[in-house]
Amino acid sequence: MSTEAPESAPRPPILVLERLTKRFGHRVVLDQIDLAVTPGEVVVLLGPSGTGKSTLLRCVNGLEEIEGGRILFEGREVLARSRTVIEIRKHIGMIFQNFNLYAHLSALDNVMLAPIKVLRERRDVVEARARELFRKVRLEHRMHAFPAQLSGGEQQRVAIARALAMQPTLLMFDEPTSALDPETVGDVLAVMEDLAREGRTMLVVTHEIGFARHVGDRLIFMDEGKIVEEGSPDGILERPKNERTQRFFSSILRG
Amino acid sequence: MSAVLTFWPAIVKATLTTLWISWLALVLGGIVGAVIGHARLSRRRVLRWSAVAYTELFRSIPPLLLFAGCYYGLAYTLEIRLSPFAAATLALTLVASSLMSEVVRAAIESVGRGQRLAALASAMRPLQVMRYVVWPQAVRVMVPAATGVYITTLKDSSVASVIGYLELTRTTLLVRETTGKSFEALLIAALIYLALTYAISWLGALVERKFHFVH
Repeated sequence: MSTEAPESAPRPPILVLERLTKRFGHRVVLDQIDLAVTPGEVVVLLGPSGTGKSTLLRCVNGLEEIEGGRILFEGREVLARSRTVIEIRKHIGMIFQNFNLYAHLSALDNVMLAPIKVLRERRDVVEARARELFRKVRLEHRMHAFPAQLSGGEQQRVAIARALAMQPTLLMFDEPTSALDPETVGDVLAVMEDLAREGRTMLVVTHEIGFARHVGDRLIFMDEGKIVEEGSPDGILERPKNERTQRFFSSILRG
Repeated sequence: MSAVLTFWPAIVKATLTTLWISWLALVLGGIVGAVIGHARLSRRRVLRWSAVAYTELFRSIPPLLLFAGCYYGLAYTLEIRLSPFAAATLALTLVASSLMSEVVRAAIESVGRGQRLAALASAMRPLQVMRYVVWPQAVRVMVPAATGVYITTLKDSSVASVIGYLELTRTTLLVRETTGKSFEALLIAALIYLALTYAISWLGALVERKFHFVH
């Protein structure tokens, strides 16, 4: 016992953004963002549309090149278009607003494709894990359906299973419920809540204030490419210090 | 009619020749077209522009001029003397590849960017993204359009008659001269083209159904 670090000892962050800057042409989309995510933490990014939250996620796994600063994932620098970025992507699962399932493959094959082709794992090993994941996302009865036969909420849960199949250490959600019918939003949020409770590290862009409040460990409010305010959910939602944050929440809670 | 039909062995042979050369042009054109179609979507501007130039050039030149160019033109200017078969194959391949490049480009673009991003995010290399996600879907989209290109190629192959290649049209014209039965000879040729075209459409639909997946 005495050799173990006490609970409160700071663990090294899994993801660090240092003065991250991203421009599209002359437009600055991300302006010197500093952010550190520790293992097991659920960080929720909030803010008006078009403030660079989704772009930030795409920078983290090197789908976007950055113009300034740096990104460290598990201590390694993320360099878009480098060979090393492939290694980093193996450890980061990404869930998209529009699910982006492979239309020609069954739900099961969607989940199994990358572990087999990228990690070169054995098919039976992957299949056993995939079946387990379908149970976890409560879709074991829909494994053999094709994406077009699934509802939006079902597709998104398959997409979550697909990300989990790679056994990632970080999960990134890019507005996972924004394209869903209201009645299926709950199923997806419930799965995400399960994952948070398992202690997974999650970086979530969402407009779901309820999820942010109850599941998020830390909220980050962004506007115009900058972090305007960050802190505990209750702190930010109940007592926003920044005037822009106040305006955003009052508009969302009214709407 | 019977006078024309006595030439049936020549007509059958010519029909097979027409089928063969247009099939060959479709396959070669498909390969070249796939390369050009991918070049159209390249990040490199030089590749993209060269591909556009190729496509626009060979689909706007009338086939007659292309056949003449490949046969007489190459011989006079570059002293490259191709047989009628080689010249016809080259000309038809140029036409078919320019058409196929557009088919390939459209088919690849039909696979959503989102699916490609998802595949990249799951650590696939660009070539794996193409192989496991894009191509399997693009091929299915291509079948109906490729069927159309095959039919166009089949009909364009009749122009090979001007450089003396003994395909169906050329043979028909010879039979007409020999027998003097203009109408019958041309009618038979037309019916054969119709039958071939119909068979290709039917085969294309069959392949399309086989490739079908739920959208």
